[in-house]
Amino acid sequence: MNTQTLTQGKTLKTFGFVIVFMMTLFTVNTAFGQTTEAAQERTIKGLVSNEDGPLPGANITLDATRVGAVTDNEGKFTFPKKLKTGDVLVFSYLGYVTQKVAITDKTSFITLELTPDMVEMIGAIDTNKPYKSKRKKNKL
Amino acid sequence: MRRLFSILLLFLSLKSVDAQIVDFNHLNFKKADSIALALKGESLTNLPELSYKLTNQLTTEAERFRAIYRWVCDNIANDYTLYLKNDRQRRRFKDDSLKFSAWNTKFRSELFGTLLKKKRTICTGYAYLVKTLSDFADLECEIVQGFGRVSTTNVETLDLPNHSWNAVKLKNKWYLCDPTWASGIPNPTTNRFRFQYNDGFFLANPKLFAVNHFPIDRRWWLLDDEDIPSFETFLKSPVLYGNAYKNLENHYEPQQMHHTIKPYKTLAFNYLLKKTIQPEQVKLGFDNGFSEWKEQPTSISIKDKSLEFEHQFNQTGFYDVHLYIDNDLISTYTVEVKK
Repeated sequence: MNTQTLTQGKTLKTFGFVIVFMMTLFTVNTAFGQTTEAAQERTIKGLVSNEDGPLPGANITLDATRVGAVTDNEGKFTFPKKLKTGDVLVFSYLGYVTQKVAITDKTSFITLELTPDMVEMIGAIDTNKPYKSKRKKNKL
Repeated sequence: MRRLFSILLLFLSLKSVDAQIVDFNHLNFKKADSIALALKGESLTNLPELSYKLTNQLTTEAERFRAIYRWVCDNIANDYTLYLKNDRQRRRFKDDSLKFSAWNTKFRSELFGTLLKKKRTICTGYAYLVKTLSDFADLECEIVQGFGRVSTTNVETLDLPNHSWNAVKLKNKWYLCDPTWASGIPNPTTNRFRFQYNDGFFLANPKLFAVNHFPIDRRWWLLDDEDIPSFETFLKSPVLYGNAYKNLENHYEPQQMHHTIKPYKTLAFNYLLKKTIQPEQVKLGFDNGFSEWKEQPTSISIKDKSLEFEHQFNQTGFYDVHLYIDNDLISTYTVEVKK
């Protein structure tokens, strides 16, 4: 009887130790998980617009690489490569100022409005047509 | 010996300050041009990718820029209708800054839409595209806004900036080029644009460039201060054609477009050629308002690349005088001969 009580006591102690050990493990694991989440690569999505609303056809490129995405008809994109904190995306569209966005710990969805490049539009046409003086006197 | 070598090095570096495309005589640009040709017809929907394809096989800055510049010249058409529309509205609103600005904003959107979808544009579109593709290739390139003098504009009353071109930094030195005028020649009567690449506008001599390009921002002359003309002097310059850039390294005389002389007096002509030619290749064309004819100038002097001659005007009248080299129209002057 004593032996049984002793055995039960040992089992309870062992069970308690396992529970504490597992809880410790879980806690450590959770803490570890939290620190690595920021460095983990993740899928980045976004919405690109201009002064008129969503902008289809805008280019999004991972800086200094050829990896890129193009916005759909609703101006949305899902970047094809998982990105990590510190990566830089380059947003561009003909006639708009190219913008760079750095991925931070909190980035998962990027909303960006591209601003028009306000260059003055001018043009002179060169031709091979010889210059001809206006000669009022000759027409008389 | 070491001192002599240092002096020689200094002399060579100073010599290269004046030089332009000759700085890259060791490159033949064949590879860059063939890459641009192989990518003919590519769309403008992914400019970072287009820039990469044009430049990734090339190692020098000059070749990488050349591939971009050549692709733009060979693939983007000059839209004469857009040009006329813009020119008309800019003149209409030139004294109303609000309407002028509103027009520019509206037209800007239309212009980029046309460039993206139809690959047709006007000067600023060419310069903008060259700059954008260069930016993606990490090449330092700028749009230069200013005045361009051509035979069909009212050459003496340029009141609004009407032209855009590019400056590019290669091996820490700035160069000039004009992708619009290099791409081809539109026919003003048919509105049809014909691609006809003119290599003379690529890294052109700034002194020749200054005859018919007046930048608003003074730093883009790329000339010494004493060589920079006033706007009034610029408006009095001769009319140069695209072929001048193919045939001439520099234009010395006549420095002005209009001349008034007495009968039997002469007018002096003086040029630096890109390559030496034979006297019979040089012709002067005359138009007195009644008839047109060509003559070979007498007493032509060609020493290596230097071309000099004079023409004596014997009869009174008002003449448009055109210089031709091998039937290429180079430049125009007017001469009033009166007692």
